[in-house]
Amino acid sequence: MINKVDKSSVAFVVAAVLFFWIGGLLTTIAPPMLDKSWVKPAPGLKNYPALAAAGDPQAMKIMKGRAIYVAEGCWYCHTQQTRTIEADTIRSGWRGERSPVSTPDEFVYDAPHLFGTRRVGPDLSRVGGKYDSQWHATHFRDPRSLVPGSVMPPFPWIANDPEKLEALIAYIQSLGRAKDWRPNQDYEE
Amino acid sequence: MTTGAIAGNAGSGPNQAAVHEDRSAFAFLSMAALFFVVSGLVALIIATKLQVPTLLGGVSWLTFGRLRPIHTNGMLFGWLLAADMGLCFYLVPRLCGVKLWSEKLGMATMWLWVVIILSAVVTLAMGQNQGLEYAELPFWLDLLVVVAWVMFGTNLFATVATRKYQQMYVSIWYILASVLWTAFVYIVGNFATLFTSGVNQANLNWFYVHNAVGLIFTPLGLGIGYYFIPKAAEAPLYSHRLSMIGFWSLAFVYVWTGAHHMLHGPISQWLQTVAILFSVMLMVPVWSLVWNFLATMKGQWHQLKDNIPIKFLMAGTIFYLLTCFQGPMHSLRSVNAIVSKTDWIVGHAHMAVLGAFSFFAIGGAYYSIPRMLKTRLHSDSLANASFWLWLVGGLSFFVSLWVGGFLQGLQWNNPSIPFIDTVKFMQPFWSVRLVGGTLMFVGILLFFWNVLATFNHRHERPQAA
Repeated sequence: MINKVDKSSVAFVVAAVLFFWIGGLLTTIAPPMLDKSWVKPAPGLKNYPALAAAGDPQAMKIMKGRAIYVAEGCWYCHTQQTRTIEADTIRSGWRGERSPVSTPDEFVYDAPHLFGTRRVGPDLSRVGGKYDSQWHATHFRDPRSLVPGSVMPPFPWIANDPEKLEALIAYIQSLGRAKDWRPNQDYEE
Repeated sequence: MTTGAIAGNAGSGPNQAAVHEDRSAFAFLSMAALFFVVSGLVALIIATKLQVPTLLGGVSWLTFGRLRPIHTNGMLFGWLLAADMGLCFYLVPRLCGVKLWSEKLGMATMWLWVVIILSAVVTLAMGQNQGLEYAELPFWLDLLVVVAWVMFGTNLFATVATRKYQQMYVSIWYILASVLWTAFVYIVGNFATLFTSGVNQANLNWFYVHNAVGLIFTPLGLGIGYYFIPKAAEAPLYSHRLSMIGFWSLAFVYVWTGAHHMLHGPISQWLQTVAILFSVMLMVPVWSLVWNFLATMKGQWHQLKDNIPIKFLMAGTIFYLLTCFQGPMHSLRSVNAIVSKTDWIVGHAHMAVLGAFSFFAIGGAYYSIPRMLKTRLHSDSLANASFWLWLVGGLSFFVSLWVGGFLQGLQWNNPSIPFIDTVKFMQPFWSVRLVGGTLMFVGILLFFWNVLATFNHRHERPQAA
């Protein structure tokens, strides 16, 4: 067989595609069929895309904010996953309370997914309710006024557009809220 | 098992039987060199932004988040893939002993590619971003990429179908396989992702991101290395059998590993474990290939002194070995818990693309461009200078990010250190990276200048014997 693929381009093509497809199919199509948690939403998870399509004003605002987050490439520098690493649960936590780790059922309606790969800035998977909205408004205008040493760019064209700013903040405040993990509901507005 | 088609028989009869026009090969390479300059400039801007975050701060389309995808897509598709395509148009016809099937189709592919890259720059600057890494481009551009790839593949397959030598040299396997695999990988990454969400989409996205490197740039780069190393060294390939082991193990193993980008993340543990196992197995194709490349140089190492293409190809081989040793190591859970999401990974990715595969492409370009134009290289000393700029610049770039990233990872795992302190900690490492990147950029300028001058003076300097 080895000699055949060496000399016949047709045999070669068949073998190369076959080899690729074994792993290709087993790692793309099989996993969601085997692990139902990928598509089963968490109990508290809101379907913002569907709510926005139905005309829910808050959901529309959040989806608009999410679109800004995608377009401005926020996800290149901020991950949205509290990993199964102890330090992650502490850093995502608040006032001594550790946050739960991120699970697939919290992200069922996310498209595009925004898990990210790089943390130039901190992880945002549980940032919703951590700071009040005025803090975010100031932070988008001038990050270093609140966090000296930060390397986040200022976003004047968002900060100066109340509609965009409100939408982006609404989205940020929605992050990680599917799991109600804080005691006494002490989320910032 | 050697035949006349094997590249080591340098200058032997059959390879010179056909008169090669090389129009589309050169057009692709020179266009790639131009995009290399542009993407390099963008790279310098965003590297500076990490140190001076207010730089160009008021202009939306010049922010980090808009320029970063222009940089990554520009380097991957504008520079490296275009350069690889040009080199394929050069070497496949030579290995087949025939002319490229259609120069017209090749030129049309090149112009379509220019349209795609320019449109990509404009749409990304406007903030049209699909939000998926390496798949940022809008749907209509994805379609054009598919059209261009089919045109490229048709040309290569038709050339191979009309070949004079029955046995296909290993470079042809890598290149043909890459054309096929890329088609599937690209469709999964750019179209299948549109119909999914959440973890399911992320899994497809990482399948694509990983295999964009593993099954597009790796096989193209290795096919190029397999051709140019024996050619430039004028030495026969060490082992055909070893190249078979390397190729078929790569074909089987690489595709399984995408989920290692989500280790410790919200994705099934068993899938993470599968990805780790196959990531470690990657050492089989990598080490068999590196062994083959290095053994081909046996008795030829003195050429490292003056043979510029060989300098690039061998440095590329070492970068490839290092990159592909890091990869399996990162996939181990204990190591991943430290380096994942840090600049270590950025250093790793740059060594793969700018170290290993760009070095293969540049080595191939310095060797082939004078032959395409039937002239001599404009300046060997400029080419040599570009090598040292890239090597020194690249190493300071990669090493500073590894050291800084590793230490930052350790700091992240100590939650008593505020996050912002770990950012400030990176500044000196980012400075070294910026200096290294600047050296590389000067190397890019020298390369571009050399290609341009070689073209302009091609009639005054006829080819050496």
